[in-house]
Amino acid sequence: MSQADLSVPFRQRAGSAMKDAFLQEALTIATTKFIGLRREAFGDFPEGEKLRDVAREIKEATLQHLDRYLEQLIDNVERLGGKVHFASTAAEARGVILEIGRRAGARMAVKSKSMATEEIHLNEALEQAGITPVETDLGEYIIQLAHERPSHIIAPAIHKTKGQVADLFAKELRRTVAADPEVLTKIARGELREKFLQADLGITGANFAIADTGTIVLVTNEGNGRMVTSLPRVHVAVMGVEKVVPSMTDLMVFLAILAKSATGQKLSVYTTFVQGPRRAGELEGPEELHLVLLDNGRINQLAGPLREALYCLRCGACLNVCPVYRQIGGHAYGHTYPGPIGILLTAMLSGPASVKELAHASSLCGACAEACPVRIDIPRMLIELRREVDETKIAPRTERAVFKAFGRLLTRPVLYRLAARIARLLQRPFVRDGAIRSLPLFFGDWTRTRDLPAVAPRTFHERWKELAREAPP
Amino acid sequence: MTAPRVALMVTCLGDVFFPEVGVSIVRLLRRLGATVEFPPGQTCCGLPLFNSGYHTEARAVAARTVALFRDADNVVVPSGSCAWMVKHEYPGLMQDPALKKDALRLAGRTYELSQFLVKVLGRRGFRATVGGRVTYHDSCHLLRGLHEAESPREILRNLEGVEFVELPGADECCGFGGSFAVRLPEVSSQILAKKLENVEATGAACLVACDAGCLMQMGGGLRRRRSRVRAVHLAELLDGGGA
Amino acid sequence: MTTREEFMARIRAEMGKTRGLFPATPATRPEYPREEAEAIRAQLAERWPEALERFRREFEKVGGVFHRVPTLTEVPQVVTGIARAREARRLVSWHPSQLGADLGQALAARGLTPLPMPPGEATNPTERARLRQLAASAELGLTGVDLAIAETGTLVLRSGAGRPRSTSLLPAYHIAVFDRTALVESLAQVGVFLELWHADGATEDRGAVISFITGPSRTADIELTLTRGVHGPKEVHVIFVEREIRG
Ligand code: SF4
Repeated sequence: MSQADLSVPFRQRAGSAMKDAFLQEALTIATTKFIGLRREAFGDFPEGEKLRDVAREIKEATLQHLDRYLEQLIDNVERLGGKVHFASTAAEARGVILEIGRRAGARMAVKSKSMATEEIHLNEALEQAGITPVETDLGEYIIQLAHERPSHIIAPAIHKTKGQVADLFAKELRRTVAADPEVLTKIARGELREKFLQADLGITGANFAIADTGTIVLVTNEGNGRMVTSLPRVHVAVMGVEKVVPSMTDLMVFLAILAKSATGQKLSVYTTFVQGPRRAGELEGPEELHLVLLDNGRINQLAGPLREALYCLRCGACLNVCPVYRQIGGHAYGHTYPGPIGILLTAMLSGPASVKELAHASSLCGACAEACPVRIDIPRMLIELRREVDETKIAPRTERAVFKAFGRLLTRPVLYRLAARIARLLQRPFVRDGAIRSLPLFFGDWTRTRDLPAVAPRTFHERWKELAREAPP
Repeated sequence: MTAPRVALMVTCLGDVFFPEVGVSIVRLLRRLGATVEFPPGQTCCGLPLFNSGYHTEARAVAARTVALFRDADNVVVPSGSCAWMVKHEYPGLMQDPALKKDALRLAGRTYELSQFLVKVLGRRGFRATVGGRVTYHDSCHLLRGLHEAESPREILRNLEGVEFVELPGADECCGFGGSFAVRLPEVSSQILAKKLENVEATGAACLVACDAGCLMQMGGGLRRRRSRVRAVHLAELLDGGGA
Repeated sequence: MTTREEFMARIRAEMGKTRGLFPATPATRPEYPREEAEAIRAQLAERWPEALERFRREFEKVGGVFHRVPTLTEVPQVVTGIARAREARRLVSWHPSQLGADLGQALAARGLTPLPMPPGEATNPTERARLRQLAASAELGLTGVDLAIAETGTLVLRSGAGRPRSTSLLPAYHIAVFDRTALVESLAQVGVFLELWHADGATEDRGAVISFITGPSRTADIELTLTRGVHGPKEVHVIFVEREIRG
């Protein structure tokens, strides 16, 4: 399954994902493994809890002076010889990057994994402009060959088997190889090595950018981030404005918790600090460095209900622990960013109407907030979105009528008790042995898989009188 | 120490579906020397409205509840989620300053049952009403909202007459989530199915929880699969209760 | 196109509407990075053996191979040992001025093929392309180390003249040589050095890139099977030299 068709209701999209036996197995294995690795990493790291608080505070502090830090960042990037661009929308960001590509006469762009470029749908635009985009993160490379979209923030191809990857390589690369991750990786290495050496344009995201020094920081495991920032003649980094951090000292706090949250590593294999284009004396490095600062709905949230979502480091920990994500995977969400944080980010980028179904794709169990390295209170913001969906009357009319009637019932105790009695009468034909096995209408959504307890023969209210009498004097 | 005064907030699910839980709590608390009151006219804490985004309606329900429990010394709630609603959401919901103050006071005096037994009354030794092996599911709001994992376990570990075993993945959601369970029933049911597989693998006769919502979900699932495991509220397991 | 002024004005307008979620300040930066860095060095001069041991443990955990020799003179022997076992010959290296020693002859004498790289930049594009192909054809890359982080088993390398970025990136086997002066204990300590390099302006007379390298290149993108050497080296070796290299 590739990106879900948004004209299909979310409930159905989720349903099809749950019928995909392979996806189900892959999800269980992957998320369980990630959860265990993360737990172990923090188990060995007693100062981790404290650092998470510090990291959270740094994020908030940065947002409180975002203008100052961005000005500083821009000045420093330019002082080091880079050029900074400003994009209010996805379209504007695409325009800026295409223009850079055109001026460089680029035919091919190598990309290291970047959710920001996914978010702005850059690849399609590059292709149309005659610049072939090549994803170089192995997972991204696989899904690019398959014309799909990532299903996890940090493990984009977890929904694919090695057999499927081997078939894909056979079809797209005309290479018949064993379905062995080692062999497949080697093939990809060879294919991509050529591209790295040929490409004129290197495109990355940025995990962080340091205001004080003008440094763009990239975190990868494969080394593609280093390739992309060292070999092509032009490097473009695309970054949401919220990724700026004040200083190197702040950065160290994030590095100490990022990889532990994502993959359970103490650090990812490569953390690359890029400080401007190639310097005098250096043999390698790009002649041009561009930083594209992206708004695309973020700035609106500085004072909006989703402000806290701007703390996000994109580590993926909240996906792994989310009971909903664990059943349906990333594609069923239907947007660039999956999982619980993805719902918030989708609302941020595309407005609350875009998540009127997704806002309810959570049991509000709070596992995401607990796993999040910067303790983002995702459930609270989901409730906030639900409220917005209700108050702006985006929610279906019948649903709103039901909840409002329910609200009235709960403020009128006489009615409330009467309703219990009526329900007891109505349920009669359905009750067996104190429980209900099947109900008509939307009640069936409960009883299809679960018994429903029957309204008790006597409610607690009705029993209280005699209980009160039992009281010892 | 004078006898503590306890006001029971039985909650809507407790009132309508699980009255025996409330009865057990009343008897248990009395046996421990408490005076139990039941402010009449109580309905629901408003959490279902709140979580679905109907905050105006939730506020009206909450305001009533705050007024009803204004004079209580201690409020005991059989559900972690409702206790969480009162403690964490009521104060923020109240707009009227006087009500807000009352809500803050109420928040400070509200306890989920196991917390009240262990942390306020200092009681951990009970005899069980049934025998055999029991296991425990952490309800999400109690665990991650009220940060309470230990009180129920302390009681269960010390419970005379039963063997307590940990449930693998005890801290994972059961898939209830209020309206979530019917908005996305397939997802909710699959989460539940995995939970119940873990439950059955423990070989326990009783699955204990401290939340009526989880019990409705897990109990309903267990009955549907004709499991020999029974979902019970902690109160039903403690002697002195027994509806 | 949005201009800087428009973009920043938007941000300021939104910021003006809120005071934020809670009072917050960023992390406390070292006030005197030079003195703090010296203090760290002084401490490490005493406790380097513990730091080295921890480094070794963490480095091996992430898949690195640790070697230890008394002096620089023994380094070529270790390098050729690694090369022979892997049937590798072609070697690129940081420039001797950056490595702290000229090992070219010794390596050549032991049967390796050191590929000559310039001490600085190559202005001619054809020459640059040739050198890049040369680097890409190497199987072994020999570098120094600016910092070795015990907490994480990480090597910190700064690019610059005579320190091509590709030496630790393109060859399948990366071999890094270091001594105890490079050792630090924690990420927090590295923060002090990064602040110092910046305050010094020293970042600016080096190259544009600082790389943290924690083990060989890896991926788990196919069925979460850990595979090494996807784009970068598939093996990383360090050779710890007991006698200070620039002593
Ligand atoms: S919300 Fe938190 S846990 Fe989720 S991706 Fe962002 S930083 Fe990671």
